[in-house]
Amino acid sequence: MSKPLRIGFVLLALALLVSGAWIGLAWAPPDREMGHVQRIMYMHVPSAWMALLAATMNFGTCVAYLWKASWKKDAFAEATAEVGLLFGTIAILLGAIWGRPTWGVYWAWDPRLTTMAILLVAYAGYLALRRFVDDPDRRAVWSAVVGIIIAVDVPVVYFSVKWWKSLHQVQSTPKTVDPQMVLALRWNAFAFLAVLIIFLVARYRIALASRMRETTVPDAPSGAREAVV
Amino acid sequence: MNTLNLVLAAIGDGRIRGGWGYVWTAYGIAWTGLSLYALSLWARWPREERK
Repeated sequence: MSKPLRIGFVLLALALLVSGAWIGLAWAPPDREMGHVQRIMYMHVPSAWMALLAATMNFGTCVAYLWKASWKKDAFAEATAEVGLLFGTIAILLGAIWGRPTWGVYWAWDPRLTTMAILLVAYAGYLALRRFVDDPDRRAVWSAVVGIIIAVDVPVVYFSVKWWKSLHQVQSTPKTVDPQMVLALRWNAFAFLAVLIIFLVARYRIALASRMRETTVPDAPSGAREAVV
Repeated sequence: MNTLNLVLAAIGDGRIRGGWGYVWTAYGIAWTGLSLYALSLWARWPREERK
């Protein structure tokens, strides 16, 4: 991608974020019961979606790495884990703030909250593992296996509100909410998607450059060096 | 009757009023989190690609 195109995409993401905030804060109507605090949804839900999307991409990349090793796949897996952890942390923090006026508490050991917290702790562990293992080949294989194990929690997070009727509400559909709210949510979802793409590409390039530096030193394992094309 | 009115007033109508403080805090955390992460990416960007 050329530099002007990259700058254009970053500006587009910023414009989507700013306009999305305006739509969520000023244009969308307040909820009948929750009033203005429901506006937190326009940041909380897209963050959670992006976290689950990044986790799904991490799973796919980990499987692809074990199928055919390459530093590019390893670098992308690292990027998806870190960026997913960022969006997941934002989602859980915003959910806690939303919970205080609506549930009366910042935190409850609700199945959705608990499974999401487990997912975040697991990705923090995944990133810690990557830091502790010096051998790039071993690190890539181990983290790919751990990434696949963590992914078991992703569908559990998504379906937790359906499997266990609990404090957290079930997923809304466009049929159950005001059309203005649907538009505000979708707009912010696309804004967060644009930010996710930018973060993933940037973090991938950082990770790949790091792999290149590691594997060009004379005593580095050569397993996947040839696979970087 | 007075007591009943007092109880009903304390319960309210079940609707949340105000709450903008929560909204601004949530949006602030989201924007700050994304901005700080963008800054961390810029700080970690490979030197060879900056040139």
